[in-house]
Amino acid sequence: MKVTVRTFAHLRDYAPAGQGAAEVILADGATVADLLAALRIPKTVEAVMLVNGRRADAATRLNSGDEATLFPPMEGG
Amino acid sequence: MHGWCGKILRVDLSSGRITGEALDPQVARDYIGGRGLGIYYLRREVDPACDAFGPRNKLIMAAGPLTGTAAPTGARYVVTTKSPLTGAITCSNSGGHFPAELKKSGHDAIIIEGVSARPVYLWIDGGRAELRPAEHLWGRTTHETDDALRSETHAKARTAVIGPAGEHRVLFAAIMNDRDRAAGRAGVGAVMGAKNLKAVAVRGQGEVPLADPAAFKAVNLKYREAFKAKTQDAPPALRTHGTAITVVGTQSHGVFPTRNFQQGTFEGWESIFGETLTRKYLVRAKPCFSCPIACGRVTRIPDGPYQGEGEGPEYETVYALGSDCGVDDLAALTKANYECNELGLDTISMGSTIACAMELYERGFLKESETGMPLRWGDGDALVRLTRMTARREGFGNLLAEGSLRLATRCGHPELAMVAKGLDFAGYDPRGEQGMGLAYATSPIGGSHMRGDPAYFELLGVPVAADPHTWEDKPPLVAKWQDLFCVIDAAGLCVFFSVRYLVEQDLMVKPVGITELLNAATGAGYTPEEVEQIGERIFNAERLYLLAAGFTRKDDRLPPRITRDPMPVGPARGMVCRLEEMLAPYYALRGWTAEGRPSEVKLKQLGLR
Repeated sequence: MKVTVRTFAHLRDYAPAGQGAAEVILADGATVADLLAALRIPKTVEAVMLVNGRRADAATRLNSGDEATLFPPMEGG
Repeated sequence: MHGWCGKILRVDLSSGRITGEALDPQVARDYIGGRGLGIYYLRREVDPACDAFGPRNKLIMAAGPLTGTAAPTGARYVVTTKSPLTGAITCSNSGGHFPAELKKSGHDAIIIEGVSARPVYLWIDGGRAELRPAEHLWGRTTHETDDALRSETHAKARTAVIGPAGEHRVLFAAIMNDRDRAAGRAGVGAVMGAKNLKAVAVRGQGEVPLADPAAFKAVNLKYREAFKAKTQDAPPALRTHGTAITVVGTQSHGVFPTRNFQQGTFEGWESIFGETLTRKYLVRAKPCFSCPIACGRVTRIPDGPYQGEGEGPEYETVYALGSDCGVDDLAALTKANYECNELGLDTISMGSTIACAMELYERGFLKESETGMPLRWGDGDALVRLTRMTARREGFGNLLAEGSLRLATRCGHPELAMVAKGLDFAGYDPRGEQGMGLAYATSPIGGSHMRGDPAYFELLGVPVAADPHTWEDKPPLVAKWQDLFCVIDAAGLCVFFSVRYLVEQDLMVKPVGITELLNAATGAGYTPEEVEQIGERIFNAERLYLLAAGFTRKDDRLPPRITRDPMPVGPARGMVCRLEEMLAPYYALRGWTAEGRPSEVKLKQLGLR
C-alpha cells in the first residue's frame, strides 16, 4: 500500500529525495513504526507523529492513502 | 539578599521624585519575583477601578531572581499594570538584554507611578537614577529612540521604549526593549505613553549576587549539558527555523487560525512557515541573554516593495498578520512585523484586529466610506498601510487602534472579535485544541497562550503528547500548567527552555530544575511543592484582581464561533470547544466556587487573606 509522508525541520533529512511530501510503499497492515523504519529514522530520534491530522504513535496501523506527518518536538511558539 | 538585589526603584512621575526602597524578604520568598512581584504590588497599590490612563495606575517592571544570572534563559522581566484594552490586569513578558541589565544595576523592579507633565525618560546608571527631558524623542520610532538614548547615556545602555503607538495610546501598544523584543500584550505601551514616559535606559554594574556560586554553577552545567545531549545530533528546530516552524504543529492538527478563525487550515501555509522564512530571508539566529536555544530571527527582505531589515516574524506574528488575514505573502507580513516593532505595536492584536476588520468588511458590516480602502482577505499591502495608520491613529487607523472588540461592537457584531476578556487570541483554534480553549477562557489577562500553554502537550509533543481533541482530561492539566507558567515568569526564565529541561518530563511538570536553580541563587531552601504553591498563589492573586475589577464567571467565555460553530474543514472538522463542560470541574479543582471565586479556604491556604 501507498502512504504519503511529510517530514519537517531536521526530520526532513530522512525524507525520500529530501522533499517535503513523499509517497512510501509499505506492506499491508504496516504501522507507523514500519514507516519510520522505511525512512531509516533511528529509534533514538524523537518525533511527533500524526496520521491524517490525528495524533499517532509507533503502533498506529496505517491504511492505504493515509497521510503521515512527522516533526521533532518543539520548545514553543 | 542573594539572587534578589533587595531593592525596588520607585519613580513618581508627577513629582519627579525617585526613591529606592528595600524589597521585603518575606514578599520575595512568597512571590519569587517578576510576575509574582507584579501582582503583589498591583493588588496593594493600584485600585482595580482606576482609569488605566490616569495617574493612579502604575507600571511595574519586575525581574526575577534568576534574571541576569547565568541560568539558561535567565533573561526575562514582566511588566504588570491595569490594562486599557481589557480593563483587567495585564502582565506582559519579554527577554532580550534589558531585563538582565536592570538586575545588574542592582534593582529587582521599578514601580512607575503618577503622570509626568512633559515627556521624560528614566536613566538608571548603576545605583543612580534620574529623569531626563524627552521632548526631542517624542514621535520617534523605537529604533531611533534606542539609537538616541545610547548616544546620550552610554553606548552599552539597554533600553525599553515606546514608539508612536504608545504615545498615541493605541490600546495594544507594546513596550519594546533592545529594539525588537516586546512586552506586547494588552497595552502596556499605551499606559507608558499616558504617563509621558518615553523610555527607560539602564546600565548595570557588577553581577547578580548568588547564595552558593559553586552549587549554582553545578546546577547550571547539569541542565546545559542535558540540553546539549538532546540537541547533539540536530540543533533545536527553534534555532534552525525560529518559532514560525510551529505552523507545522498547528496546520497539521487543523488549528492554524485562518481568516479570523473561520477555519483551522490555511491553503498558503507553506509560503509563510519557518522553513520558508529560513530559506528566503533569514540572516542569523539571535539569542536573548544567557540562552542556548536562540529562537530570535534577524531577517532581511533584499528587494521588492517590502524591502527591509529587522527581526521576526515569530509564529504568533505569522498567524496574526498571515493566515488570520488570509495573507500568504511572507514579505508583506514580515514588513508589517518590522513596522509593528518600530512603531511599538503588539503584532498579535494588530493582526487579529485587521483580520476582524476584514471579516466585517467582507460581510458588509463595515463600509469603504469608513475604512477608506477595500479590506479584502489576503491583501498584504493593506496590512502594511493599516499598521502604519494604526500607530498614529490616522484615518481608519483610529478605529483599529481601539482593538478588535471595540471595532466589532461598533459595527454591531461583537461576536466577530476573536477575544477572551477583550484580549485577542494567540495562534491556536480551541475547537481542535480543547485545553487551549480552557486556558484562553481562564487566563487572568484574557486570550493569551502564555498563561499555561497547552499547545506544548496538545500539539508539540512536549514534554509528552496528550490528545488535543479530548476535554475531560484537560482541567487538571491546564490548572497545573497555569501555575507552572506563573513560576517560570516569576523566576525570570523563558518558557521555551523550562518546559523541556527544568521540569519533570511528564504532564504534571513538577518544577524540580527551577527549584534547584532558585535555591542555588537565593538560598531560600524551597521544595518543589512550595514552588508549585507559589505558582498557585500568583495565579489566584491575579484572579482576585480580575474579580475586583468587576469580571465574573460570565467573562470566562469564548466567542460563539469557537463554542457553537463546528470547525468546517480539516482534521478538527465538526468540533467545537467544550468550554462549559470543562469550566465546572476546573473551578472545583482550583478550590473556587461555582461562580469562579477562590474560596475562603483556598485563600487562607495560599496566604491571600
